[in-house]
Amino acid sequence: MRYASLALALLLAAALPAQAACYADYKAKRDNPLRLHYGIIELPDSACSSRAAAEEAARERLSRADWQLLNVVGLFGEEGLEERRESAGDFFLRF
Amino acid sequence: MRKDERVPETSSFASDARIAGNRFVLIGIVAIVAILALTGAFLFLSLPDAGAFNARVERIFVENDNLTSAAEIKLLEILAQSGTAFSEVLAGYRVVIFVLMLLATGLLVASLVFLVTIVNQNRRMAEIERKGIQVKSLAIDREQNAVLLNDMEFKLTAAAIETIAVLAEARMDDDVLTGAEIEAVISGRNAADCDEAAGATRIKRLRDALGNQMVAELLIRTVQRRGYMLSVDKNAIRMT
Repeated sequence: MRYASLALALLLAAALPAQAACYADYKAKRDNPLRLHYGIIELPDSACSSRAAAEEAARERLSRADWQLLNVVGLFGEEGLEERRESAGDFFLRF
Repeated sequence: MRKDERVPETSSFASDARIAGNRFVLIGIVAIVAILALTGAFLFLSLPDAGAFNARVERIFVENDNLTSAAEIKLLEILAQSGTAFSEVLAGYRVVIFVLMLLATGLLVASLVFLVTIVNQNRRMAEIERKGIQVKSLAIDREQNAVLLNDMEFKLTAAAIETIAVLAEARMDDDVLTGAEIEAVISGRNAADCDEAAGATRIKRLRDALGNQMVAELLIRTVQRRGYMLSVDKNAIRMT
């Protein structure tokens, strides 16, 4: 039973990135004092069609954490994740 | 009887210029304050606030797609913070500008007032020069039978003092008296019973007595033990 649930969790964890159609890297800020960050966000299928749609979705999610989206740099698939992992640092798939 | 009649405003007094000057000063002060307030407001508003630095840093961050590493971003944040620190200096500048504006307003208002005062003074001087004598004070001393005009003492007869006293009282009420009325007040009779010529004679005597002494004081001066001299600037004399 324990193995089964562990396997399920692993399966889910493995399946989650695969489910998403795309990722985006973005820039965001907080005011007073000015704080900036570069991050990677995972987007649902519906937001993958265009940059505008991606911005819409990312802005929504970031504002919940009190960050203000500045821009979306680009949209990419799973293959682009690794090269950006280091730059994004703490904000790699955080929101 | 023309008791209620005011002195007609045909003659201009030197104080008229001062009233016009006061209006000019008021308008000038309002203009100065308005202009400096506008300038001050413009200066205050055009001074950048701390947000200007942050906005610039933010733009650099957004415009450069390759500015993504954590170290670079940290550097940008530090840049923005040092800009924010400078905003305290800007607050100091605002105070300095405010003080300077107040000072400038004060100085401009003062110089305007001085300017108008000088212009008025000149105008009054011209007025006085044209009129010959500007009466600043007139004191009537009944006991001494004397009239003090601008601190120049003139001795008069008791009758003449009576006449000038009546005229002075009427002037204080802004009244104009006919010869008959003057005679009526002095003699204590009804004005209808008085002769116009009697009042006119009193006025003539007063003019003669006062005029003689005034001319003696102002125009034809007696120089003690030496003789007589016109007290007029020799450049003012023209003979044709």
